Amino acid sequence: MSLPLLLGGDLDAFVADAFLVGAALFVVLAIALLYRVVKGPTMQDRVLAVNVLGTNTVVVLALLSVGLGEESLLDVALIYALLNFLMAVAISKFTVDRGGVI
Amino acid sequence: MNEFRAIAIVACVLIGLFFTLVSTVGVLRLPDIYTRAHTASQADTLGAGFALAGVALAIGTDATAVKAVLLLFFMFVTNPTAAHAIARAAHEDGIVPWATEDGAEGAHSGAGAEDSGTVPADSGGDVQ
Amino acid sequence: MRQNAGDDDRGNAPAAGRSVLVPVGPSSTLRETIEYVVDSALDSHETGTADAPTDGASEDRSADASGAPDGRSEAVSAGSDEADGTADVDSAHHDSRPVVHFVYVHAPDEFDPADETPELDDAEELLDRVRVWAEEDAGGEDRIEIRTDTVGKDQYLFSPADVAATLIDAARARGAGRIVLDPEYDPGIGAPLLRPLAYELSRDATLSIEEAPVQQRVRRAPLVGRSSARRIGALTGLSFLFYQVLAGAVSPFDLVTGSITAIVVAGTLSRISLSRDPTPTQTPMRLVRFLVYVPYLLWEIVVANLVVAAVILDPRKEIDPTMVRIEPAVYGALPITSLANSITLTPGTLTVRVQGRELLIHTLLPSAREDLFDGSLERGVRFVFYGRRAMRIDSLSDRDVAEIVPSQGNDASGSNGGDGS
Repeated sequence: MSLPLLLGGDLDAFVADAFLVGAALFVVLAIALLYRVVKGPTMQDRVLAVNVLGTNTVVVLALLSVGLGEESLLDVALIYALLNFLMAVAISKFTVDRGGVI
Repeated sequence: MNEFRAIAIVACVLIGLFFTLVSTVGVLRLPDIYTRAHTASQADTLGAGFALAGVALAIGTDATAVKAVLLLFFMFVTNPTAAHAIARAAHEDGIVPWATEDGAEGAHSGAGAEDSGTVPADSGGDVQ
Repeated sequence: MRQNAGDDDRGNAPAAGRSVLVPVGPSSTLRETIEYVVDSALDSHETGTADAPTDGASEDRSADASGAPDGRSEAVSAGSDEADGTADVDSAHHDSRPVVHFVYVHAPDEFDPADETPELDDAEELLDRVRVWAEEDAGGEDRIEIRTDTVGKDQYLFSPADVAATLIDAARARGAGRIVLDPEYDPGIGAPLLRPLAYELSRDATLSIEEAPVQQRVRRAPLVGRSSARRIGALTGLSFLFYQVLAGAVSPFDLVTGSITAIVVAGTLSRISLSRDPTPTQTPMRLVRFLVYVPYLLWEIVVANLVVAAVILDPRKEIDPTMVRIEPAVYGALPITSLANSITLTPGTLTVRVQGRELLIHTLLPSAREDLFDGSLERGVRFVFYGRRAMRIDSLSDRDVAEIVPSQGNDASGSNGGDGS
């Protein structure tokens, strides 16, 4: 992977590629997390796994925004992070009988 | 873009990948919701933090770099809060924390975390 | 409500007016009483020095003092502030800071040689908390001088008259001309004490006795607080800044829409987003100290993460999950939240429940547990909110406020053991 560096190749293109490869690997990790989403066993396990998956998605979006040069993806990532947080808190709150979380 | 900055960026993304891998393995392999919440809130936050730091470095001095830093800061505030909310919901639901077999003393009881994690080695292996 | 027995004789005690003595105990209106005492002390002090104005800070303070009482507790009567102000004007001409003495009176039924140490610790902790609150209300350590002490340790006080005599002696010894009583104050000698105590105190003609005009705050909705011009202003600025960051390049269009959005946001959400007024001296200091704290926290996170990563990735290593309960010495919603968040961010520890100041924490490894009990994060949060001096505190385990909750989940916090799936 460090070959382009040694050859003095196009650094910008190399970094962009690195971001795309990194995004792909993050996607692989996110897919692995689906196991916990499906398997559970408790509802909280699933929410937690979805939350981690969402964090991965945010990172993927941010990496893609640099790798592809699409600045607007960073805004999408920001909103997604907000929704991800709200999702976890809202489900935690409304699935407990007394609804006492936060 | 000079070489030093490129190396720093790639290093950030790689470290971020490593910690996200740790968090993924943890969520898949650890025995109960509380222990999984540990890795979900901590390793994952750090992994995302490093990856976003790499993004901010790559953007450089542009105004959008502030957005990446903002995103990073936001992650560090919301991720632990979300994990806490989930753990608290589990606690309110009466889910009992997993413990080593002979209670608090049993750090070496041999009843480690392996029994409930069935596929972690595979999912971790094909990433590295 | 107040006995002004001593006002006529004020001239006899030249330095007395500047200094206030407040007996404190674990009462439900302690917080409001401290706020009232600090406000009135600052108020009277600045009324006295008003002929040599002003560098802007005191203007802020007086605006703050007039706005604060009704902003925080429904029952504060504004009228008594003025009376105290005039009473203390004549003696407030010194340029030193106003002095407030908080004393803890040891009660006889706690006076038991067998468990003397825990009780002394309680007193120390209470006084520590009182000092933090008072400095918070004053808006900085240099605005006011707080002194804390305990009295009656070597005496056997069993009647209101004894307590009153001790308090009067304490006031004389400290040059205090005014005693403010917390309406719920009770040093623990059993019977209702406040009326007889106020009566006994008022028999001494050289002191001015006053009951703090506070009532137990009515229970109100947890999220919705009160609004104030300062909160709306701070929130408007913050929202506007956030809008401009998201907008990227600054253009007239963004400036206009940003202003409108910020005003709408601040107008609608100021009641739930800030629980205290930001102060021009304290808030920036906290921000600066927070910026010092962040790199330290990041370093802790990275180091501990590596330890936990090794445990997770290496199948041969064992985990040892345990619930622990701690009661850290930080007070108020924001400091507790910061500490709980820091604890959760640090690998190996996860905050599961917060009840008042009590945190229920799930720990993954013995080493993480030891770090937690060592209290370095607590020191960090105390540094951010209370300043460098507050860092000098014993570790949690030394103060005996950390305990391991027995496993199998019957931890007496209301969980009913039902299955969660």
